[in-house]
Order: sequence, then C-alpha cells, then structure tokens
Amino acid sequence: MTEQPVSVSELTYAIKGLLEEGIGDVVVLGEISNFKHHTSGHRYFTLKDANAQIGAVMWRSRTLTFRPEDGMRVVVRGKLSVYPAQGKYQIDCVAMRPEGIGDLHIAFEKLKESLRARGYFNEERKRPLPRRPRSVGIATSQTGAALQDMLSTISRRFPLLDVVFRPTLVQGDGAGVDIARAIVELNRAHVDVIIIGRGGGSIEDLWCFNTEEVADAVYNSAIPVISAVGHETDFTIADFVADKRAETPTAAAVLVTPITAEDLLLGIEEMRRSIVRIMINVVSSLHETAESFVDGRAARRITERIHLRGQRVDELTTRYGSSVGHHVSMIRQRIAHTVALCASLHPLAPLRRGYAVVERGGHVLTGADVLHAGDTIRLHRQTESSEMHISTILPQRSYLPKDRTDG
Amino acid sequence: MAKKSEEQTLEEKLKRLEEIALLLDRGELSIDEQLKIYEEGMGLAQQCRDFLEQAELKVRRLSGDDEMTE
Repeated sequence: MTEQPVSVSELTYAIKGLLEEGIGDVVVLGEISNFKHHTSGHRYFTLKDANAQIGAVMWRSRTLTFRPEDGMRVVVRGKLSVYPAQGKYQIDCVAMRPEGIGDLHIAFEKLKESLRARGYFNEERKRPLPRRPRSVGIATSQTGAALQDMLSTISRRFPLLDVVFRPTLVQGDGAGVDIARAIVELNRAHVDVIIIGRGGGSIEDLWCFNTEEVADAVYNSAIPVISAVGHETDFTIADFVADKRAETPTAAAVLVTPITAEDLLLGIEEMRRSIVRIMINVVSSLHETAESFVDGRAARRITERIHLRGQRVDELTTRYGSSVGHHVSMIRQRIAHTVALCASLHPLAPLRRGYAVVERGGHVLTGADVLHAGDTIRLHRQTESSEMHISTILPQRSYLPKDRTDG
Repeated sequence: MAKKSEEQTLEEKLKRLEEIALLLDRGELSIDEQLKIYEEGMGLAQQCRDFLEQAELKVRRLSGDDEMTE
C-alpha cells in the first residue's frame, strides 16, 4: 500500500474550499426552526422545507428588521460556509426577510379549522377527568425524561395508582400512527384515564401531535385523554382535542393523582381522632352515671373510689388515644371492671340481699347517725317503704368492730 | 391483578372506618357494641396507614405490537 492517508483537517479544509468556492453566495427560501438567540447575541437556527434542512447562523453584527420565529418562512441571503470543528456546513446569513407563514403552519391551520368545523374541539364533548382514578395509561417514549417525570410524580403522590405504560414513538416517521394505536390499545386495557405526551422539543419534534390520526384517536377514545406535550407556548392539535391539556408531563401526573396518599393519611388520622374523642366521652359519661348512683355525703368514700377508678380509665383512654393499636383489650377490661364496681357499689344493691335504708327527716342515715325513742323514720326495703315510730332504743351492738371510730 | 383487589380492600376499609365514626357519633349503640367497633376502627386505621405507607408504584407494560391480554 502506497496510499498516503490525509488528516481529517486536510479533508475538511478541502471540502470547505470546494463548498465555499463552488457554491459561495446564496439566496435561500426556507422555514425557520429551532431558532436560538444566544446570549452572545448571535442567532442560530435551521432552515428547512419538506425534504431537507440546513443549519444557519446570523452573527450579532448583522441587523434584523423583525423577530424571527420557528415556523416562519424566510428568504435568507448569505454565504455557504463550513465549520471544521464540527464538520458542519451552514449558511452564514447576511440578511433575512420574512416570506409569509411557513408551509407546515399553513397545513396546521388548515387541519385545525377542519377539525374545529367537525366539532373536535367543542368544550361540551370534553369529559371531566375521573375524580379518583385507579389506573392510568401512559403513551410516551420509553427513553424520554417525560416517563421518568410522570412515574416519579405518581409514585410520590399516590403510588397505589395502577400504571399501564405503552412505549410509544413520539417523534419522527410513524410517530403519529403509533400514538393513535397506543390510544386504542390503552382503551382496550380499560384504564381510567390516558396521558399522551413527551417532553419539550422543536416544532418538528412535536409535529406528530399535530396529525389527523392522533386527533381522530383522541376524539374516538372512550376514556378521557390528557395531552401533555411539554411546550408551554405552542398548542398542538392534540391539545385542542384532548379532554384536558397539561403543560408538562409532570403536570399531567398531578392531574391523575388528585387525591394523594398524604390526603388519605390525614383523613384516616382525623377519623381515628374523632373515634377516640367519642370514646373518651362515652367513658366519662359512664363516670357520671356511676356517680349519680350514689347519694352525696352518705357515700363519699364510695364516690372517691369511683373517682379513682375513673381517673385510671381516663389515663388509659388518653394514653391509648396517643398510641394507636395497643391496649384495646386492657381498656376494655378496665371499663368492664368499673362497670362491675359501679354495680356492686350501688347503694340500693344491698336491698336485694334483704338490707334496708333508713331515712329520717328526708335524709338517709349513715352509721354515725343516732336514733332516739320517739323518732319517726322511714324504712326502705327492696319492694316497699314504710313509716314507723321508734319506741325503744336497744343497747348498742356493733356489726363492724374494725370500723368503729368511737364509743 | 392482586394490587387492584388490595386497593379495593383499602377503599372498603376506609368506608368502614367512616361508618364506624358515624355510628359512634350517633351514640345509639350499647357500651359493649361501642367498644367493639371502637376496637375495630382503631385496627382499621392502623391497617390503612401501614398499607399506604408501604405502597410502591407498580407499572404494567404493554409492548407496542402486543395485543392486550387480560
């Protein structure tokens, strides 16, 4: 082999010479896309038509009489040049003037008008999104950031949502058809709501969302569709037909998780608190009932004992209220004890065993009261009361020697 | 789909919890019955909480050329 290889630079400079001298000055008609006004003041964009595209640059020093925008049809005057560092050829623009609206935009406007006339955009045919969806169908690119954004948002807000993901082409040839098919398939999967979308991009990147196939599929979907094409300023056809437009895929994920796990947890906590509060009321009204069983002074000790018991129950109830799920049987037992205690301390309970209550002058007598001959008393037994006069007081005999406090 | 049935259970549990709060609030039950559903309610609240806190996102994937089978 005697061939002498050339360096990349040598080849590139040969191409540069060929293009710059062979073509040189040009006047080109095309549509602007991907227009970037760099902070340096230079403008970078692409000129394109239906079949081809070419990069273009317009330095800061060149003056412009209008604000170029993506989709605008322009006539550019300049010089073809090669940028060796990136192996790119581009037009170095000297001047630029607008030339009506771009072809793509004309097509877009035409389709939009036709769909509008057919009622595709009518507000009254748009369905509300489900208030509490159980499942969502997502049609987007498998590799795009849009999918990750949506999944992480759903996972954070409401991980119980069933996600059915249909990997979908959202750019380039066949993307429109694939999106339409994805909508049909997600309809068959019986999800509650569908999101079609992708992250931002140039007008051409988003173009598949401007196709009639997508418009038809969204229109014919039995399930509400959210369009989430990450482009805040431009609306796509899909945005107009969709039941709801979200500005970004993340915003769409929020729309399908209107109730979050946190909301539910708060609701549960609220219910739990109100249940505990009601139970505390039940228990304290139990105390009141118990207290009403006993006659004030006559049974102070008994009341005290009940109070002590009641306090214990209160403590338990309060403690229980702050530590869910424990001590249920314990508190039940305590309350059962209290109820049993109340029953056994009921001042009238002994009457069942044959004892009687003695009353004089409207007061129930305690062990410390003394009777005198001639007193009129009332005797209450379980089933009858009687009034009697005391004729004789017999010598004292104590039935409760231990309790005797004085002679 | 196991998850779906679990979620229905969660919904049923939440519904029952609300019902219990309502029943207790109405105060028409005997003490015994009140205690019983109180206990039930506390258990449900805990179960729902655990379930929500442990939930993890599950994604089912439809392949593009796949006909749906379910």
